[in-house]
Amino acid sequence: MPSTVPSTREEVDLDQNVDTTADSPWVVIVWNDPINLMSYVTLVLRKLFGYSLEKATQLMLDVHHKGRAVVSSGPRERAELDVYRLHEHGLWATMQKDGTDK
Amino acid sequence: MRRRASGPFQLQADGSYRINLPPDVRELMVHLFGELRDVLTQADTSDPALRRLFPAAYHDDPERDAEYHELMRSELVASRLTAISRVTEVVGDGDRLEAGDMDLLLQSLNAVRLLLGTMLDVSEDDVDDTGRLTDDPDDPVAAQAHLYSYLGWLLEAAVAAAMAAVPNGGNPPKPR
Repeated sequence: MPSTVPSTREEVDLDQNVDTTADSPWVVIVWNDPINLMSYVTLVLRKLFGYSLEKATQLMLDVHHKGRAVVSSGPRERAELDVYRLHEHGLWATMQKDGTDK
Repeated sequence: MRRRASGPFQLQADGSYRINLPPDVRELMVHLFGELRDVLTQADTSDPALRRLFPAAYHDDPERDAEYHELMRSELVASRLTAISRVTEVVGDGDRLEAGDMDLLLQSLNAVRLLLGTMLDVSEDDVDDTGRLTDDPDDPVAAQAHLYSYLGWLLEAAVAAAMAAVPNGGNPPKPR
């Protein structure tokens, strides 16, 4: 999708020494990329997460304009499954502990 | 290219899709699915062309990411090969795509496009808002660029057909 390609290592400033996030859930992030179609990203978010057209479109636009969006959150196993299903559909998805990039 | 009024994939009342594609396009798709299968089954898993098909899951934690890929990569390959096998069969010799097969077609078409886009090194500056490559007739890879644009059109058509099948308002959110 047209916009800036994120350099994940530069944009996400992690501080793993702060252990206040031990009980926080994992978040699944979809990153902007120049190849995936906007309509395809919206469809995948609707199908995988059951989001309404409005919600899925808003998340897609966040990815497009802000470079990324949190599309789901939960326990680590759940997040890994979501990441796997997003990868299966060719989306650029990663996971991290919530709050670790503030 | 002018889009036919009927479209290449037509949602039917029973939830399946009618495939309305000429033989040469079907041959092209089967050929591309074959190339995708070959790339997925090649020994060299470090091929840069594959990077978008197997992105990092833990982008901030190489150790966990290695563990994740150790566990999940072969499953992802197997899932893709199953999808390719099914859609190759349907697109090669059929006029009807079952509801459950549309997702496999979307995944496979998108994977071919990711592979081609990665090889063409598509960047944000090269595409317009519809994901088409801007034309440059002097570009030595113009043929591949046209193919990439055509695949974008075909995928867009499949997405539109599939989107029409998703209930308005989406499915109920799953409990978390």
